[in-house]
Amino acid sequence: MSLALSLPEAAPPRSVRWPRWPVALLLPALLLAAWQIASQRGWIAPGILPAPGEVWLTLRELWESGDLASHAAWSMGRVVQGFLLGAAGGLLLGTAMALSPRFEAYVRPSFLAIAQVPVIGWVPLLMLPLGIEEVLKLVILTKAALVPVTLNTRDGLRAVPQRWVEVALAFRYSRAQLLRHVVLPAAVPPVFTGLRYGLTSCWKALVAVELLASSEGLGYLLVWGRQMFQMDLVIAGILVIAAIGFAFDAVLARIEARLQRWRAA
Amino acid sequence: MSAADRLRGLVLPLLLLAAWQGAVTAGYGDPRLLPPPVEVLRRAWQLLVAEDLPLALAISLGRCLAGFALGALLGLGFGLLCGLSRAADRLLGPAFHALKNVAVFAWIPLIAMWFGFGEASRIAFVTLAVLTPVALNVWEGVAGVPKPLLEVGAAFRFGGWQRLARIRLPAALPAILTGLQLGLIHAWLATVGAEYFLAKGTGLGGVLIEGRDKFDMALVLLGILLLGGIGLLLNQLLTRLAARLAPWRAA
Amino acid sequence: MTLQQDRSGWLTARGVGKRFAIAGREVRALAGLDLDIASGEFIAILGASGCGKSTLLRLFAGLETPDEGEVRHAGARISGPSLARGIVFQEHRLFPWLTVAQNVEAALLNAPGSKPAKRQTATELIALVGLSGFEGAYPHQLSGGMAQRAAIARGLVNRPDTLLLDEPFGALDALTRAHLQRELRRIWQRQRTTTLLVTHDVDEALLLGERVVVMTPRPGRIARIFALPPELPRDHADPDFARLRGKILATLDAGPAVPAAGLTEHAA
Ligand SMILES: Nc1ncnc2c1ncn2[C@@H]1O[C@H](COP(=O)(O)OP(=O)(O)OP(=O)(O)O)[C@@H](O)[C@H]1O
Ligand SMILES: [Mg+2]
Repeated sequence: MSLALSLPEAAPPRSVRWPRWPVALLLPALLLAAWQIASQRGWIAPGILPAPGEVWLTLRELWESGDLASHAAWSMGRVVQGFLLGAAGGLLLGTAMALSPRFEAYVRPSFLAIAQVPVIGWVPLLMLPLGIEEVLKLVILTKAALVPVTLNTRDGLRAVPQRWVEVALAFRYSRAQLLRHVVLPAAVPPVFTGLRYGLTSCWKALVAVELLASSEGLGYLLVWGRQMFQMDLVIAGILVIAAIGFAFDAVLARIEARLQRWRAA
Repeated sequence: MSAADRLRGLVLPLLLLAAWQGAVTAGYGDPRLLPPPVEVLRRAWQLLVAEDLPLALAISLGRCLAGFALGALLGLGFGLLCGLSRAADRLLGPAFHALKNVAVFAWIPLIAMWFGFGEASRIAFVTLAVLTPVALNVWEGVAGVPKPLLEVGAAFRFGGWQRLARIRLPAALPAILTGLQLGLIHAWLATVGAEYFLAKGTGLGGVLIEGRDKFDMALVLLGILLLGGIGLLLNQLLTRLAARLAPWRAA
Repeated sequence: MTLQQDRSGWLTARGVGKRFAIAGREVRALAGLDLDIASGEFIAILGASGCGKSTLLRLFAGLETPDEGEVRHAGARISGPSLARGIVFQEHRLFPWLTVAQNVEAALLNAPGSKPAKRQTATELIALVGLSGFEGAYPHQLSGGMAQRAAIARGLVNRPDTLLLDEPFGALDALTRAHLQRELRRIWQRQRTTTLLVTHDVDEALLLGERVVVMTPRPGRIARIFALPPELPRDHADPDFARLRGKILATLDAGPAVPAAGLTEHAA
């Protein structure tokens, strides 16, 4: 107590400490204001950049008509399916590769070759046999999630520091115990990094396939907006895509933090 | 990797090839979709020696490097600014982090409307695709220099510039190199992406479109091979360079 | 056979050699090393940094195998780790994803006994090293010294007949160190666990050891073994103690001077 009393209420500020939120919003707010004014005065053609108010109106219209919900539902449904399939496959494949060098020797070169070719390459190839329907999208999205999840799982399981493995050896852990009590917990962070990366990459791939071949979904909304020269629609679509991408990542980040309470803050 | 392992790696591709040839021989599937492997090889060779393909590749690579240079420069500048200056971090950080959530291809319609379908628009897209990973890694690298290292600098009474040149930049170099490496990969993907979305048949992306439209499986396969192969090559090039520049970085 | 003979030869090294490759060059970490430790003995191992103390300990732990010669425990050749030999590493090596209690219990995974019994044992050892109240803490929430104490508890929890300690008190402050040294001595006196303590600290060796083994580097071998008279007062002021201390320091100093390019000396 006496110690606390002898201290000043707060440490004297070394530099001016700005509260976080207002500052974070300052620049966007200024930009927004400038943008709105410039549009109103007619300095920026609405075909180049519509006024923020107009984008907001479009967003509200999309929301009220239910179009937004239905396009977003299409997109999110595709991503969730592709991600679940790809992540499950990636966890299995990565674990198998980490545990069995023999299996890895058989699979890794082919896997890397497939991983090396990006979505933009697979689309035209797969379009020929699969058409442009949902199967194509599912295959592409699954691949997008599979690759990072596999690689991170494999590396995470393999790269468990020797110093912990030795502790387990000293206490005579069996192979199964080593896996369950040391390798898996130690691999949680890299595996989760892989999952987050997989989801992000899925979302990116989704936009690409929807731009190319789709008649519903957020990517299609962008295409439509562009074809109709409705800039407000395009910008509204971009905003929604960013928001959902952010939300996906935030959810996984939350789970990740839960699973890793043992990590130093 | 042992010789046996290398042979094992060949098993799957060979099996696939055998299955392919088998399917063709047995007469399964549309011959347009499933031409015999030899036919694809022959056609690929034809295309490679013809002038069009090397030219398309040169165009794509040029675009990729131009966009990379521009994006890396901007990304480095932005990342350093935000990583070194608290004010910049607070001011620009949130907006940047919000925008980085936009899946990169979503910018395409916007870019198309602003820059049209010409070269400017393609370069702009590549630049944008490079900017994000470079800025992010530089930023985190510079801002995340371990405190103990900075304290060493403080103990030896380093000045601001000394701290930057002797501690922050060397400590952040691995992260910066990672950013550049990611940037180059993204540049290559974005180049082909831009050609695919924003062009009428130029570069490697144009080759892919042509193959798809003509139902020319050989052309599509060749395009994909080049797409993957060149990506791999660019990546290895930068990995080597990075190993030279920051040998203390863990492999 | 006399009792004395029965006790000797509990832990032995015969003609042990160990080589490592560093940057393509061969380093002889140990060469022609003989050591015979009696059951219940407390051995302190002293030596300059890099002379192979940790390597010797890891050989006894079964984490390394000798390139030449052999190491034995209770007559059997050591071919791998055993719960009968507890080890405390130079760094604490706690699992960061487990709490203190869970870390200590993790050592009991393959020990006989019921779960509650194991929990009880773990709690006792945590109390022994003075960490009661921190059972639920994660390693990153502990100070360096606390983490090292948790590691000591983990090394002891199996009640091993042989305890291998690699500079376990290196990271501790003087007070905690003195406290734990006393605790260790008490545990040893009570249980007569054969103990090998690697240390840099001559006083610690003299305080705890029955025999002090002094090693010299490049290649690592035993320079001399000092048997401390049982009645030796563990007290700096005592003339016998001071004399022994001086002799040990002289032996440490007399080791071959470290050449500037130490690695090249034994280049393969
Ligand atoms: N895993 C390893 N790989 C290569 N060299 C090693 C390895 N372990 C030990 N060495 C080498 O063996 C020699 C002895 O190392 P050791 O760790 O046993 O020394 P030490 O006496 O415990 O030193 P310190 O007191 O500093 O802990 C050193 O020259 C070291 O470089
Ligand atoms: Mg050591």
